[in-house]
Amino acid sequence: MDLENNKAQMRKGILEYCILSVLSRNSCYASDIIKELKEAEVIVVEGTLYPLLTRQKNAGLLSYRWEESQQGPPRKYYELTDDGRKYLAELDKSWKELVESVNLIRTR
Amino acid sequence: MDKTININLGGTLFNIDEDAFRILRDYLQALNSRFANVQGGHETVEDIELRIAEIFQSQKGLAGAVTKENVESMIAIIGKPEDFDTSGSESDAPVYTSQKKRLYRNPDDKIIGGVSSGLAAYLDTDPVLFRILFVLSTIFFGVGFFVYIGLWIALPEAKTESRKRAMYGNAYNRQGTGTYAGNLTLDGAAITNTGSYNNTSKLGNALNEVFRALGRVFYIFLRVFAIIIGVSFVLTGFLFILCFVMIFVFKFPGIFSINETGINLVYFADFLKYIVSPASVPWLMILVSVVVLLPMIALIYWGVKMIFWFRARDGVVSLVALVVWVMCLAALAIIGFNEGVSFAETGKSSIETVLPQTPDTIYIITDHKIADLKYEKQISLPHEEYSVFLNEEKKELYVRPYLSVDPSEDKVTRLEVRKRSTGRNEFEAVKKTEALIYNYRFIKDSLNLDEYFTIPEGRKWSADEIGLHLYIPAGTILKFDNTSRILVHTHFHDENEDYLMSRWESETGNWIMTSDGLEPLSSKASSRK
Repeated sequence: MDLENNKAQMRKGILEYCILSVLSRNSCYASDIIKELKEAEVIVVEGTLYPLLTRQKNAGLLSYRWEESQQGPPRKYYELTDDGRKYLAELDKSWKELVESVNLIRTR
Repeated sequence: MDKTININLGGTLFNIDEDAFRILRDYLQALNSRFANVQGGHETVEDIELRIAEIFQSQKGLAGAVTKENVESMIAIIGKPEDFDTSGSESDAPVYTSQKKRLYRNPDDKIIGGVSSGLAAYLDTDPVLFRILFVLSTIFFGVGFFVYIGLWIALPEAKTESRKRAMYGNAYNRQGTGTYAGNLTLDGAAITNTGSYNNTSKLGNALNEVFRALGRVFYIFLRVFAIIIGVSFVLTGFLFILCFVMIFVFKFPGIFSINETGINLVYFADFLKYIVSPASVPWLMILVSVVVLLPMIALIYWGVKMIFWFRARDGVVSLVALVVWVMCLAALAIIGFNEGVSFAETGKSSIETVLPQTPDTIYIITDHKIADLKYEKQISLPHEEYSVFLNEEKKELYVRPYLSVDPSEDKVTRLEVRKRSTGRNEFEAVKKTEALIYNYRFIKDSLNLDEYFTIPEGRKWSADEIGLHLYIPAGTILKFDNTSRILVHTHFHDENEDYLMSRWESETGNWIMTSDGLEPLSSKASSRK
């Protein structure tokens, strides 16, 4: 078995949940999300984020608006839609259950 | 930098160095093909392009050209497409239509040649199964080894992505080796680190590791073996060439004096021109050289190849060399046959001398001995008691005649000298016998003869032979000197032939003729007493 691969698989599973969680606090653009995820060591490279954002947006969980930036090109600011909030609530619930289950197994 | 290029990236214009541009272009192409088959992929690429523009601006400001270093640090931030951790989700995995499976060697999961895992991919089973089969059949029947080598040679390696897809067929995307898009490998770490283990059991993994280690050991063993063989090939080749040069070019004596057979190879080349027609000699030398040296050179080349373990496009050269070698061998055979024809027919001639009166005792005396001759070289034919002596200065060959002594039926002493030569036809052969020079004469009660006959200058050897057949009445005593004794090839007509032969070897030479043949005089005398 491969430890790195296992870790990567775990991260993949929670990545989308983490993105929605970051956006639940306030709307932000990709670099802000990246910054948080990187600090939490959930992603390694930025490129991972973009396809996920696109997919979540296409699934109707996110919406975005363009905002001009003083330093560079215009930025896409993402925020959760109502569907997104419902979806996140489901994931929150599922996460709690998952943590409990894992803890139950680990501490038994 | 010498040249810069203007590009539009996410709506912003950039000045970029040429070498940096090439890297960026490749990177963007990789991105595009990564997301080509993914829903919303185009948008994703656009987002990433925006981000790239942002990174460049934060690094450079708007002034100055984007450098190679800028591009590289940008790629480090965003990551290569194969490092994007997204393949866990089903939706962005590209879907391939069903594909016909083909048998390949699998380079991603191999112990020796990847044959087993290729077979396993083809039959959608575990490579370990085939590995065990190969090992077992090698141990018990030896067949596995050859089957494996055969498959190794026959099967192409699945080097490209399309071949890998063909190798796995529809199971490709289900394999734990990750998903693939175009020419890009996603999830690269998973492929190189785990191979197809994801589908394998724990036991399988353990076995895989064991076989992997065994494979490495086997490979090292194979390399060492190849080097040993290679070195011995090279040494053998060089040694043979050295010997060849020593013998035929420097005529170095002592290396190849094969005393047992009596053939002294060192002088073979010198004798060659007395055996074949002079015009053939240079051709024969060249042809023999090629026929002997070419395989030696090939041997050295193979040795070097095995030592350094390289492959070369030597097919054409090898083929040409082989053709040349075969042609030389054929030419050698043709010349050899042509020369052989000159020995085809045998011609004989004989001269008879009759002694008017038979003395009581006949002395057989040698006038001229080979030991007194000037000859440089000797070549002997084994078991035939036939030697040719060569005088290079006079270009003469000398050969011993044989002497046969038998009882005469008519009480008369006669000497019959029979000469024999070979030629293309009988007439030529007879002519050749007449040219042989041999001296003998009767003086009173002695027969004076030479230990050799001479093949005159300029005439090649033609398996010439002279036989002296002496017929004497029974009761005549014969006295040989030490040299003439050597010439005698007499059949003793007696039941204890072996005893007499041994006497012949040791006795100094007084013999008496009986009606049955020669007998030692002393034993005759003692038996009479």
